[in-house]
Amino acid sequence: MLLILDSNEYIFGFGAFKKPACEMLLDIISDAFPIHSIRIPRLIAEEVGRHLTPEEFREFIGFITNLTTIDEDFVVPFELGVQYELKGLKPADAFIAAYVEWTGADALVTENRHFLTKHSNLPFKIINAKDCLSLIKSTSR
Amino acid sequence: MKTKETIMAKTITKKAKEHLTKLRKLISKRKHPLSDMTEEEVIEALRKTREEIWDKKLVTHS
Repeated sequence: MLLILDSNEYIFGFGAFKKPACEMLLDIISDAFPIHSIRIPRLIAEEVGRHLTPEEFREFIGFITNLTTIDEDFVVPFELGVQYELKGLKPADAFIAAYVEWTGADALVTENRHFLTKHSNLPFKIINAKDCLSLIKSTSR
Repeated sequence: MKTKETIMAKTITKKAKEHLTKLRKLISKRKHPLSDMTEEEVIEALRKTREEIWDKKLVTHS
């Protein structure tokens, strides 16, 4: 399963704010590599980095680059982002949605329950860490 | 017998876990500014970060 983790999943998963499901998700993704894989755009990497010290950021980059490569934001077709903006999303959120679609990921994992909740017929799932863990468990059977 | 791919995956997993463990250890040693916030406040702070970075990118590339 290919997953895109929102910045809040990393921040919660690293323990900056305690959220066990997010911590467990990062553990499972790294343990089960390459069964479940992740991808990350530069924007999310920068967002996470803003909340880490330089030393912590170095470890974050080490963690991420062992599991995947960081995609530059410009690789996402501009038109795809515009489509999501036309659906009423803010430009940065529209970019994230476009990125998830462009990668062909199965799901965007986020604790932000407002993200895209008003939008249906999306080509990917939007789930939180807890539901993602259940999904991983069900697909592992 | 372990295949080359399995050995490579195990090495990647091990390295990723080492970085994750060290990162968590570093974060646990300091009082992180987000730790006193509620979950909603953290999400809001991250949303603001996203918009700031995005706006800066737009200015740089326009």
